[in-house]
Amino acid sequence: MDLQQQYELEKLFKTKLHQAMRFYLETCTHCGLCVDSCHVYNSMPELRYTAVGRSEVVRKIFIKYFKMQGKIAPWLGETMEMDEFVLDKFYEAAFSCTGCRRCMVHCPFGIDTQQIMSIAKLLLVGADKEPKILSMLSDMSINKGEQVEESRAQYAEAIKNIEPEVEAIWPTPPGKKTIPLEVEHADVLYVALSGKHSIISAAAIFNAADINWTLSSFEAVNFGAFLGDPQRTKKIGNRIIAEATRLKVKTVAIVECGTAFRIMKQQFGKLPFEVVTFVELIAKYHQEGKIKLNKVMTEKVTYHDPCQIARNAGVYEAPRYILNQLSDDFVDMIPNREENWCCGGGGGLVAAGDFEFRMKSSKVKADQMKKTGATVVATACENCHSQLHDVCGYYNTNQHVEFISHLAAQGLAK
Amino acid sequence: MALLSMLSMIPFALNAATAETLAADAAQVVDAVAEASVVAEPTGFGIVLDKIEYFILIPWVYLSIAFMIFGIIYRLVSIYRAPKTPFSLKIYSSKKESPLSAWNDTFMLPQVRRNKPFFWISLMIFHISGVLLILGHLDILPTISILSEDSKHMIGAGLVGVGFTLPLFHFLFRRFKTPIREITVPADFLLIVLVLFLALFGDMISWGNSWTANGFITTKQKFAEYFQALATFNFENPRYYIWSPHYHFLVIHVALANLFFMLVPFSKIVHAFFAMPINKLRRK
Repeated sequence: MDLQQQYELEKLFKTKLHQAMRFYLETCTHCGLCVDSCHVYNSMPELRYTAVGRSEVVRKIFIKYFKMQGKIAPWLGETMEMDEFVLDKFYEAAFSCTGCRRCMVHCPFGIDTQQIMSIAKLLLVGADKEPKILSMLSDMSINKGEQVEESRAQYAEAIKNIEPEVEAIWPTPPGKKTIPLEVEHADVLYVALSGKHSIISAAAIFNAADINWTLSSFEAVNFGAFLGDPQRTKKIGNRIIAEATRLKVKTVAIVECGTAFRIMKQQFGKLPFEVVTFVELIAKYHQEGKIKLNKVMTEKVTYHDPCQIARNAGVYEAPRYILNQLSDDFVDMIPNREENWCCGGGGGLVAAGDFEFRMKSSKVKADQMKKTGATVVATACENCHSQLHDVCGYYNTNQHVEFISHLAAQGLAK
Repeated sequence: MALLSMLSMIPFALNAATAETLAADAAQVVDAVAEASVVAEPTGFGIVLDKIEYFILIPWVYLSIAFMIFGIIYRLVSIYRAPKTPFSLKIYSSKKESPLSAWNDTFMLPQVRRNKPFFWISLMIFHISGVLLILGHLDILPTISILSEDSKHMIGAGLVGVGFTLPLFHFLFRRFKTPIREITVPADFLLIVLVLFLALFGDMISWGNSWTANGFITTKQKFAEYFQALATFNFENPRYYIWSPHYHFLVIHVALANLFFMLVPFSKIVHAFFAMPINKLRRK
């Protein structure tokens, strides 16, 4: 790596040094209390898979380039030069971390490893060493935002084609559209994913509750966040904000996708609309008597708290409330809520590939699921669903994974 | 002679009267040795040593404390001058949170208590003892009287120092164990060793004071003179008013303390100042 590139990466590093990041980088006492927090370390006990092990790679560069100690006594902190080896270490650290922030719960200071890993991810983007699949998916999302007008008719046609599947679950109220698009002043703008499964159940529930809703033209998932590129993250999120603002909606309901929800709720500042995850709306509609749910589930069911919806956004009880309406045999995983083990697929790991790593690092999750004795694992996040589905197969847990919205749609009653 | 008479008494059974005589004799010995040493002006290398010890006990104390204060201010200002974090970094607890949650996280370490209870006990004893040690040192100043001025003991009569020291051994030894060993850098070892030796010399002074009639090193009242001199910017050589045969132990303790002060802003000890703001980030 030449000096010019080192300098460019140093400049990029500096852009991430906001107040919180400075605290995170300067406070760790190497107490090691975060070591046991990571699901990867618990499944594959190697230091590089601990929160502190990952953070230290970034911290050593920080001390080297931004602290006096790095200039006069680098040996004290075993600092490292920015070079190809360090970039490989960054990759290993950043893309073995799902950003679940369980370590943050156990750290006596609350150091956010996900934030520290965002530096590693940004520098990988700067060095053109990021997982290319994530930058490609991010750019596709951005392009879609830029060309939305050209593709609108085609999109409407595709949506029309799935309406019969919604009707099969719940008949559309008279005078209403099954899947409304571009409705100004709608109560809810529902932001789905690109797969139709994320639209059908939600549309049936909205229609059953007789809600004035509209479907977004965009997919909720923010690959820019997985990639760790703040500019792409912003561009992808801004598409939805612009649409919601243009349509003057009251609420933006994010599909069962943890990262999309947390990014929109927490990282875009104050917005002119409320941001909720769809499972909160299902629970709310039931509590308000707008929908009824039958106890249609005959199998024992458990719930996996998606990190970005539960620990990192505070939605703990709504999914449990819904499951208790659908089943008499709900059992919580242990540990659960803010202590729940990550599925192992967050932080872009599902999209970025490396199936073997994802599976091996999720052994602790498989054990936790098996111990519940449940045959159905419900969750409220697309990433978790994909990962847990793979984990169930890999570890032969004899369980199947279901979305909360899908189970709720099946339980809709007159 | 007094010392010889003291030693000659040891084989015999001690009754109250002989114990009293022994204590009085010991006090005389300490005073006599101390006075004799002061009278003798340093010569040769003693002059250099005296100048070094003077520097450690007076000017370096001011310099290190000033360095620490400016260092901490510099660290905090440099962090707070950085751009504000543009989004929430909150972690959501499933239990009810209160405005005091960050205080609880900072001072009660509930995460550690739940997951590593033995380490928590060690941490709590260490930190509580640390606070009491600060109070104990302030109490030496004649203007601050937590204990009565004629008390020969510091707060805790040495127990606080021991409470501070034992956990340090725990902190040190756990660094030799996997996986903590692998995450430890040289700075971590050096810092613990520094604080450990600082504490051990402090223990000799405070706890040792309860071992003999006149104190192991010197009396608390003598320390008060030294602290008062520091507080009033009296640059007189302390050798002339707090001399004792163990004067050099005090000098080493102060030298280690000076090093500690200078390291506070630029080492992991700075977590003492960062723990609260960083814990607030988790809760807001």
